[in-house]
Amino acid sequence: MIGDTTMSALHASLSGLAQRQRVTADNIANINTPGYLAGRVDFESALKNELADGETPVAGRSAELRSSDPTNTNGNNVNLDTETVIQTETGLRYQLALNALNGKYAQLRSALRTS
Amino acid sequence: MALFDSISISGTGLYAHRKWLDAVSDNIANINTTNAPGEDAFRARMVDVQAFNYGGEGGVRVAGAKFGSAEGRMVYEPDNADADADGYVRYPDIDLGDQMTQLMMAQRGYQANISSIKAATEAYQSALQLGKG
Repeated sequence: MIGDTTMSALHASLSGLAQRQRVTADNIANINTPGYLAGRVDFESALKNELADGETPVAGRSAELRSSDPTNTNGNNVNLDTETVIQTETGLRYQLALNALNGKYAQLRSALRTS
Repeated sequence: MALFDSISISGTGLYAHRKWLDAVSDNIANINTTNAPGEDAFRARMVDVQAFNYGGEGGVRVAGAKFGSAEGRMVYEPDNADADADGYVRYPDIDLGDQMTQLMMAQRGYQANISSIKAATEAYQSALQLGKG
């Protein structure tokens, strides 16, 4: 089979990481918006459970939550340091997942060449 | 979800912060503007922002502007062409310290969005290389 559990898991994590990247961009865009609460994405829990249960992971099963950090005087709780760390880490993890996926494709490609 | 969403979300952040910068520079440019007696003072402009589609596609939008006091502050300057009968001139009630603080906040917010765009671009660019190895 072309697609296996590894690929589905990588796909799910790429999609979760992309969503986290989007939510972080949203948080930074709203860094000065009164009353805005920072968004957080959790796709790891769903992915972990699916893998533990032996199911094929599905992309898009992530939960979007709101940060419960203390707010500023204007009701905003976006912290630029936290967001920058999340953004950097998410970017690197995204590249890591892409590299792993590329490795899978390279394997498939060499299997197709052998005949 | 649209393609390259993160970039357009940061784009809304850039727009909102630029509007804020515009308002601040307008306020500072008019900090010594006087009007003829009987007219309103120049009113400080404050940009009002809101989260766009909170929890949905995201971003920020400029909801409108709020204006400062039309009363201004009265300064005794009998030689000024805009002085009233008692020699008072109506200056706008704008505090330079406050405007400079806002200027810095808007500037930093703008920069934060720029670095956000850079991070997203890097991720998208590697995604575009997928399967080429």
